[in-house]
Amino acid sequence: MSNLQLKAPLTINWAINNSCNFACSHCYSREDTHDEISRDVLYSCIEKVVKAGVFSVNFGGGEPLLHPDLLDIAAFSSGLGLRVSMNSNGWLLDYDKAVALKNAGFTKVGISIDSHLPEVHDKFRGVAGSHARALAALKHLKAVGITTSISTVICRINCSTIDELVAMALEHEVGQLNFHNFKCSGLGMSNKDELDLTPEEWKVFYRDAIAAKRTVKNLDISLDDPIIALLDARDAGSLVKGSVCGKLSLNIKSNGDMTPCGFIPIVIGNIVRDDLQQVWKDSVVLDKMRNKQPTGKCSGCSKYEDCLGGCTARALALTGDMNSPDPHCWGSDAPAK
Amino acid sequence: MSKVFRNPDVLWRRESDDSDVSQEEAVAAILFSGGSMLSLNEFGIELWEMCDGQTVDEIVTTLMSEFEVDEDVLRSDIQDFLNSLFQKGFIRYE
Repeated sequence: MSNLQLKAPLTINWAINNSCNFACSHCYSREDTHDEISRDVLYSCIEKVVKAGVFSVNFGGGEPLLHPDLLDIAAFSSGLGLRVSMNSNGWLLDYDKAVALKNAGFTKVGISIDSHLPEVHDKFRGVAGSHARALAALKHLKAVGITTSISTVICRINCSTIDELVAMALEHEVGQLNFHNFKCSGLGMSNKDELDLTPEEWKVFYRDAIAAKRTVKNLDISLDDPIIALLDARDAGSLVKGSVCGKLSLNIKSNGDMTPCGFIPIVIGNIVRDDLQQVWKDSVVLDKMRNKQPTGKCSGCSKYEDCLGGCTARALALTGDMNSPDPHCWGSDAPAK
Repeated sequence: MSKVFRNPDVLWRRESDDSDVSQEEAVAAILFSGGSMLSLNEFGIELWEMCDGQTVDEIVTTLMSEFEVDEDVLRSDIQDFLNSLFQKGFIRYE
């Protein structure tokens, strides 16, 4: 299944705006374009996406709740059959907004929370009171029947607090707790020395997170990092090996530029002018991501077939080569015999 | 006998609009439900499309006219496939 080539992405991660009311230490899009597609043009782009066969869109940014037309765009998308979700910091999400999101067709909303400790989260996000508002947002979403999740970017401020993060998620009855691996993009690159973990620390984190995933009931703990294949923990039901970016999902920026994922700054087309299926099929960049070649310690590694070199975005950001071993990999530096 | 229905929450699409999928193992369609995904070959998608309120007996009868195969073998294959779809929540019985 590693070479599965779909006719179109299953999911689009769509940064419809890059404006934000927060100042997060790991923000990947702070320096992105602030050009935005007009609503009418955006609608025609959404129609293109539907026609191509895409199942779902996840709106992000920036903070999508700052987009003045978010509700209309979501209603238009869900009306065409797309499954609509969003990632938000929760600051602007009160009960009335939750009702409006429900009416616009949102089925799932993820709220970013980076620590169980309010003071740690607030400092990291740059806004006092943001932790309390994020938790309140979860409560409002649950009240109106929207499935909730917590998204936590794992870094030095939270890597040893798995139990506490799980307890917070259980207490607020979210369906899913997403532990996202740390990417070295945008401010994540600028602050990587302060925030990123060493390979050995990643190993410890994932060992403990996988143990929690296997034992905690009533909560789906999601680990999206391909390198957990080193711990024999990759989802056997996944359609593809390695990263899903460019294989199952695609990223669209606020100006319509398409990139393999939100953390790889290589533009492969623009949804306004280009045919999505054509780009998906013919992109040289996507082809390279789908057919990675082992280099360095990946060569001969017994886990390569499942891991495929780990996170392509991270390898590219830190080495300049998609095929380089994931810098988070704790495997032996010597190629396996 | 109970009837088989596709779960309406499952999104699905054919992958074979413009390419031949004559190979038995080629991916002909994708089912998608939240975080759960499944790829189907041509036989799988044909069976999936028949989960529209037909009974297993009706499905077996229809497919017996298409395949030169022992009925018990076909019934067993169909039941195994439906069991896996049911376990993933992709179909329901009424």
